[in-house]
Amino acid sequence: MKPIAVKLSHIYKVYSLHHEKPTLVEKLIKGVNEQFTALSDVNLTVYQGERVGILGPNGSGKTTLLKIITGITTPTSGTVVANGRVVSLISLDAGFHGDLSGVQNIYLNGLLLGMKKPEIDAKLRRIVEYAALGRYIDVPLFTYSSGMRMRLGFAVAIHSEPDILILDEMIQVGDQRFQDKTQKTLTDLVKKKRITIIASSHNPEKFKYLFKRIIEVKNGRVVSDGTISTTHY
Amino acid sequence: MRSNIQRYIELLSSITEKELRVRYKYTTFGFLWMIINPLLQMLIIGFIFAFIMRQQVENYYPYLFVGLLTWNFFSLTVTKATPSVVNERSLIKKSQFPRSVIPMSILVSNLVHYLISISLLVAYVIVTGTFALQRLHIFFAAIVILAVFTYGFVLITSALDVKYRDVAFFTQTMLTLWFYTTPIIYPLSFIPQHIQWMWSVNPLVAVLSLLHYVFLGFALPPTHVWLSASVIAVITCLVGILFFRRESADFDDWV
Repeated sequence: MKPIAVKLSHIYKVYSLHHEKPTLVEKLIKGVNEQFTALSDVNLTVYQGERVGILGPNGSGKTTLLKIITGITTPTSGTVVANGRVVSLISLDAGFHGDLSGVQNIYLNGLLLGMKKPEIDAKLRRIVEYAALGRYIDVPLFTYSSGMRMRLGFAVAIHSEPDILILDEMIQVGDQRFQDKTQKTLTDLVKKKRITIIASSHNPEKFKYLFKRIIEVKNGRVVSDGTISTTHY
Repeated sequence: MRSNIQRYIELLSSITEKELRVRYKYTTFGFLWMIINPLLQMLIIGFIFAFIMRQQVENYYPYLFVGLLTWNFFSLTVTKATPSVVNERSLIKKSQFPRSVIPMSILVSNLVHYLISISLLVAYVIVTGTFALQRLHIFFAAIVILAVFTYGFVLITSALDVKYRDVAFFTQTMLTLWFYTTPIIYPLSFIPQHIQWMWSVNPLVAVLSLLHYVFLGFALPPTHVWLSASVIAVITCLVGILFFRRESADFDDWV
């Protein structure tokens, strides 16, 4: 029996819907907010070294599921167990600050991912090289293109030595050359370090090569758990 | 446990450094502003006060300066920390980390400013000869009460602001009222005796009295004054920590 990387039991997630910015005045006038169930009774066990693709249309609960595994948000009910360092690439701008330079952002981002300062000091050169941003590494992040930000985010995430890597619609990072590089890195990481990868997409084509196990999510429920050929997507 | 604390401190210093860097990056005067600002404020208010109020206050300009610096620390921290969780949503969306480092980093960066600018006063009291080394511990006690109270207060307002974005506006209005109900531009003795008890629920009153004692040689406030202020500060802080901890579990859903 392989060791368990992630175990979700009976996960429910209920959001309150608010149409504009939530305010106290509104709350006092209108009372209880409308609610929306994003996940209902999700059970999932992922073993160490597995590569799991989560497939589903927009709004099916994929991102919520990934956020719960990462601990960015907590489930309304149910339990989450994640063993080891969980590192996420969920949203493009997450963990960066536009006014800081590339290098300063590497530190900020690395610390957020749970790295220690000396660890970042030691890996700084490799991260900078991997991101391949050239002289842009010392200019403020707001001047970066979105592709450059993604590269920087990916470079830090990879070098933080995650046990579990969470990718949201992010298999395709940067230009073709960088994409090939990330594919190779991910494959290597899985082979060598038994890293667990959980990724989401609405496009099954992206999953063909890297993912053996495919979980299908629809309206907040897991509807199938198998290989790419067993999905009805 | 130890590595958790280490992580907290490293994150805090990184975000605080960012805070300081971003604030002064694009101003030529940079750090100088935080000294020039209260000095100008002091001159303006002092000038107006001399016109409106005929009563003389002993050492009025330094009195104003102590009060304004301290008040600026408090009001700036509240103003900036209340919307801070919402403003730093990009950090929240990255990973799981103690969310309280965000308001804490605002507090620390303002505290750094405050301590630097108040050291000007130390220079002043050395010149005027009212400086006494044995009062230094009172100074630190006052700063601790101030910081503990402010931290608890902004934990509550920043957590509330995530779910109710108008809280930032309410706190702004409240700060205006708070400014005039704190003896900053007037001494406490201007307040009629029979309603002075209302001032004792405001811990800033005791903090200022202690600082006036340290820097201006005013009378040391009675024990019950600073003791009750300390109790209020600690209770505010505990309530803030518990409230923020409960609320921060689903901050991501709201930002």
